[in-house]
Amino acid sequence: MAHVKLPIGPQHPALKEPENFTITLDGERVVDVDIRIGYTHRGIEKLMETRTYTQNLYLVERICGICSYAHVENFTQNVEEILGLQIPKRAEYIRTLFLELERLHSHFLWLGVAGHEIGFDTLFMYTWQDREVVQDLLEMISGNRVNYAMNAIGGVRRDVSQEHRKKVLEGMDYLEKRAEFYKNIALNEKTILARAQNVGILKPQVALRLAAVGPTARASGISVDIRKDDPYASYLDTPFEVITTDTNDVLGRVVVRVLEIVESIKIIRYLMEHLPEGDILKKAPRKVPEGESISHTEAPRGEDFHYLHSNGTEKPERYKVRTPTLANLPATAEMLKGTYLADVPIIVAAIDPCMGCMDRVLILKNGQEKPGELISGEKLRRYGIKWYAERGWDA
Amino acid sequence: MTTTEEHILEVLKGLPVERKRNHRIFLTIPREDLLKTLSILSSELAVQHLSTITARDKGNDLEILYHFLLNGVVITVKTTCPKTDPTIESIVKIFPSAILYEREIHDILGIVPTGHPDLRRLVLPDEWVGGYPLRKDWKQPAEQEAEE
Repeated sequence: MAHVKLPIGPQHPALKEPENFTITLDGERVVDVDIRIGYTHRGIEKLMETRTYTQNLYLVERICGICSYAHVENFTQNVEEILGLQIPKRAEYIRTLFLELERLHSHFLWLGVAGHEIGFDTLFMYTWQDREVVQDLLEMISGNRVNYAMNAIGGVRRDVSQEHRKKVLEGMDYLEKRAEFYKNIALNEKTILARAQNVGILKPQVALRLAAVGPTARASGISVDIRKDDPYASYLDTPFEVITTDTNDVLGRVVVRVLEIVESIKIIRYLMEHLPEGDILKKAPRKVPEGESISHTEAPRGEDFHYLHSNGTEKPERYKVRTPTLANLPATAEMLKGTYLADVPIIVAAIDPCMGCMDRVLILKNGQEKPGELISGEKLRRYGIKWYAERGWDA
Repeated sequence: MTTTEEHILEVLKGLPVERKRNHRIFLTIPREDLLKTLSILSSELAVQHLSTITARDKGNDLEILYHFLLNGVVITVKTTCPKTDPTIESIVKIFPSAILYEREIHDILGIVPTGHPDLRRLVLPDEWVGGYPLRKDWKQPAEQEAEE
């Protein structure tokens, strides 16, 4: 039978974000995959060169809506390194608390999405309800459910009070019970086993060769975790285990994440019990001397890599961001080859993709304009009205 | 210093290596030596993980930085190419994970990795004709119009 080329996306009901997969099929089997990205490229790296470091703090946070804190943490670490600024111990602990709360809510969110992709929407409802507990804690301390705006260059902007500590520990007690429940589901539930076992195989040597990161790599038995390998914030004095499995499949990626939830809860308990006293913020100069710095953190999806080159002014010379989803794309294409078409959504979901992080300049193309021309909001509005009017619809 | 770092410095002895801080090693080489140096990383240090490739506009030159990760140590290999001849040998044969990162620097800074198997656009639209946005002399089309 001749091969069929099936386009999925950029706009497709099965996709949560715009991306394009051109899948070559032989019957129901996937023979080849081509992934096209860039539909949400917002030109943030270029924009950062025109903003001050303080403004950039809030811009970097908006690279992603889920792992936003990992990006801010990288950015502040880079600036602080070039400034030679040692932040207070208490601020380090609070930063670690946010990194782990973020991992918790991201993993709960992912579990729900994975459940949804295999038609197990009950799991989706359960986990997203539990995620609210984390969101409430984040809101209680920072004032925001997402994009917490906690970091400043030199420390954190808000302190954790005794009352907050009590509430966080209560929240962890509840979530620990729920994590046990999900662990049981992930290991024994028939729906999950049927859809996730031996699906989306990624052999360790392939994962290494294609430089996979985060839970995707750890589910292939590769013990890589930036928190352990190159400790930042307060991970050096915080005890925790790096979770790996050797099943190399989607089920392994579920198990790794569920067990990481348990580890995160342990870390948060430790942080709350050992929170040092002292200041939370040091004053930082506005101008950053010439220099370069690399910072990477273990975001919920894997290694998040930032590079800063400063030029002695208030604005960066060059800022580079590599998000974990981009790093995992070549491995995803490998996982998809040879599987059934019906398994494509869960395999893609299993790397916990975040296309928004991955990146278009505000460009819209239409018949009349030159390709690649920028369109103002007003022009776009008029274009929209015309488009609908031509088709006989009221705009 | 960790044993990994000691080992890296031992293997790279004689090359222009700089240890900027804990877990951060920089190596600056001319572009002709790129593949040779990366082969040493790959064969003698068994480096497999390429974190990413950064490129930046340095005025007359373009600087390219290859960031590798080995047991938590970031090894950055730096090289430059002139804007008049913005080519660099593709490293895909040694590090297959470079495939997307090389497409990205080609897309946004116009660096041509010679020998790359698939140089389509990555982040910019396919029909993009607006130049290389991450270069310092690049202006947004609207800005350019206003100036004219």
